[in-house]
Amino acid sequence: MAAAGGGAAAGRAYSFKVVLLGEGCVGKTSLVLRYCENKFNDKHITTLQASFLTKKLNIGGKRVNLAIWDTAGQERFHALGPIYYRDSNGAILVYDITDEDSFQKVKNWVKELRKMLGNEICLCIVGNKIDLEKERHVSIQEAESYAESVGAKHYHTSAKQNKGIEELFLDLCKRMIETAQVDERAKGNGSSQPGAARRGVQIIDDEPQAQSGGGGCCSSG
Amino acid sequence: MASNIYVMSLKSQCQGIHVDQLELLCKKGCGYYGNPAWQGFCSKFWREEYHRARQKQIQEDWELAERLQWEEEEAFASSQSSQEAPSLTFSKSEEKKTTEKACKVTTVKKFLSASFRVGSKKAEIQEAKAPSPSINRQTKFLKTFHKTGQEIYKQTNIFLEGVHYKKDLSIKEQSECTQDFYHNVAERMQTRGKVPPERVEKIMDQIEKYIMTRLYKCMFCPKTTDDKKDLAIQKRLSALHWITPQMLCVPVNEEIPKVSNVVVKVITDTIEMDSKHEPRDKLACIKITKNEPASADHLLPTLIYILLKGNPQSLQSNIQYITRFCNPSWLMMGEDGYYFTNLCCAVAFIEKLDAQSLNLSQEDFDRYMSGQTSPKKQEPKSCFPDACLDVKQMCKNLDLLSQLNERQERIMNEAKKLEKDLIDWTDGIAKEVQDIMEKYPLEIKPQSQPLAAVDSENVENDKLPPPLPPQVYAG
Repeated sequence: MAAAGGGAAAGRAYSFKVVLLGEGCVGKTSLVLRYCENKFNDKHITTLQASFLTKKLNIGGKRVNLAIWDTAGQERFHALGPIYYRDSNGAILVYDITDEDSFQKVKNWVKELRKMLGNEICLCIVGNKIDLEKERHVSIQEAESYAESVGAKHYHTSAKQNKGIEELFLDLCKRMIETAQVDERAKGNGSSQPGAARRGVQIIDDEPQAQSGGGGCCSSG
Repeated sequence: MASNIYVMSLKSQCQGIHVDQLELLCKKGCGYYGNPAWQGFCSKFWREEYHRARQKQIQEDWELAERLQWEEEEAFASSQSSQEAPSLTFSKSEEKKTTEKACKVTTVKKFLSASFRVGSKKAEIQEAKAPSPSINRQTKFLKTFHKTGQEIYKQTNIFLEGVHYKKDLSIKEQSECTQDFYHNVAERMQTRGKVPPERVEKIMDQIEKYIMTRLYKCMFCPKTTDDKKDLAIQKRLSALHWITPQMLCVPVNEEIPKVSNVVVKVITDTIEMDSKHEPRDKLACIKITKNEPASADHLLPTLIYILLKGNPQSLQSNIQYITRFCNPSWLMMGEDGYYFTNLCCAVAFIEKLDAQSLNLSQEDFDRYMSGQTSPKKQEPKSCFPDACLDVKQMCKNLDLLSQLNERQERIMNEAKKLEKDLIDWTDGIAKEVQDIMEKYPLEIKPQSQPLAAVDSENVENDKLPPPLPPQVYAG
């Protein structure tokens, strides 16, 4: 039911799962911390719990519950990605504008996500640390044209100066609501309710697939 | 609305199979089932005489009973089921009567108010505490509750009864049934009961807790598959015991006693997971890990490290149990779901772990795996990196003791040497003396003759008068 993230009936809140992907140290955690708690720490945050955060929004009278999943950015955990982004409605792909490598990583993620989840997931490509504009190594034009070519939206943010973050999440939410509404309409036309009723079961059936697709799932095999 | 269509489609299926129940159809010929307690009318016409909302609930319950019955009968041989079916139907209609009486007293408003939910929760919690009662006792127990919240409670029990009949099914089918049940109950509450979503979530939590406590024994770790995997993971974990926090880049410095104590506590909590019955409680054990690292960059490595150190029992069974019988909505969305996902990731990582993922060379990795060498030995400072302060103190003391022992031995040796030296010295002296004595023997020369001769030469001596004898003079 809520697993798909849609809000079936009017008046019910939408629940969206958003996954944060990107190389280590590009500012994924800072970004989400800034958004949800309006905190920023120049040094590494050690006391705050920041890997799972929620935010409640009201967009045009529609209530939205956002669950933001942070992921480990180290290369060695890359293969575990599918377990994290399974069933997510949106993905925020973060790179560091001063680090060309991190932008390459984003490209890899985009390829993988499109392959695994198709067009159902809303992608946001985020160039973080625009406060370090002087040290920029990824050109704005290149990043934006790439984002357009893969059907993603590009954003410039600075977690340090709190720039562009609010817009990023608001925009993402609007897009996810649209996707969910399209989804609902499609479901309504199909009217195969027993199928929808078994949705919860399908999630379990999905696991072997998720395993074969990526780094593997612990629960079977 | 959605469940309506779903239930109706099920109903038509039921009719196809239950030929013997056709006579139970409503007298008005509407196609629904009638009930002797309702003068042979179906619930639809019976409903007109009573509160509409209340009747809806009853009908749903009735439909659920039918659905379960249908499932039971499908699962069993036809002869067995035809014997059991009427009795089951009867007992269920009896139950319905009792709830009906209760409902006459309470108003519709009250039914939909919060009190019934509280009541149902209480009932569930109380029942959950009861140690695995038989089905008979269960129905008796049920009658003592006349609160309207019984509705959900009853459905839950019907489901539990159903499960008892479905023991022969594979674990996967059982899990499907459970998930279906969660889904149906939640949807019914929302569409019919008009319960706000937050409440529904809470109620679902309680239902899940209740069901899982009751079914833990038969649902957890089916013998065929999971336990082998448990062993495999456990072996894997112990084979990788040598991994240090540095290799995983875990930001945990165990030299600091406060940190190492937290680590020990978390390890204990992880091990404790196995003893919990409800899926949610199991997850709560993992969640404690979150106190430490902040971002996911740290959380996952730390969790992996904790798993390696703790090596919790039957990890695989626990994970399977959670995926099978948890309410999927929060497993995918909520905070618990996040931590569960992390746990799954940690296990997946451990299973696939190789030299590259630890930034080690293949040779080093192989050597560590075969147990030939241990990376710990190379850094003597942290001879027990996972030990808590006390153990470290013990290590230190042991070290001191062995040093003392060494010194004592040395002293003993010295002492022995000294003793030997002393003996040697005395011997040497004696020998020296002997030598000297031999070299210069002590000769006591006899009375020399020449001396006498001196006197003898004096010939004239004879002629001397004899010496005067001593005389004693008195006085």
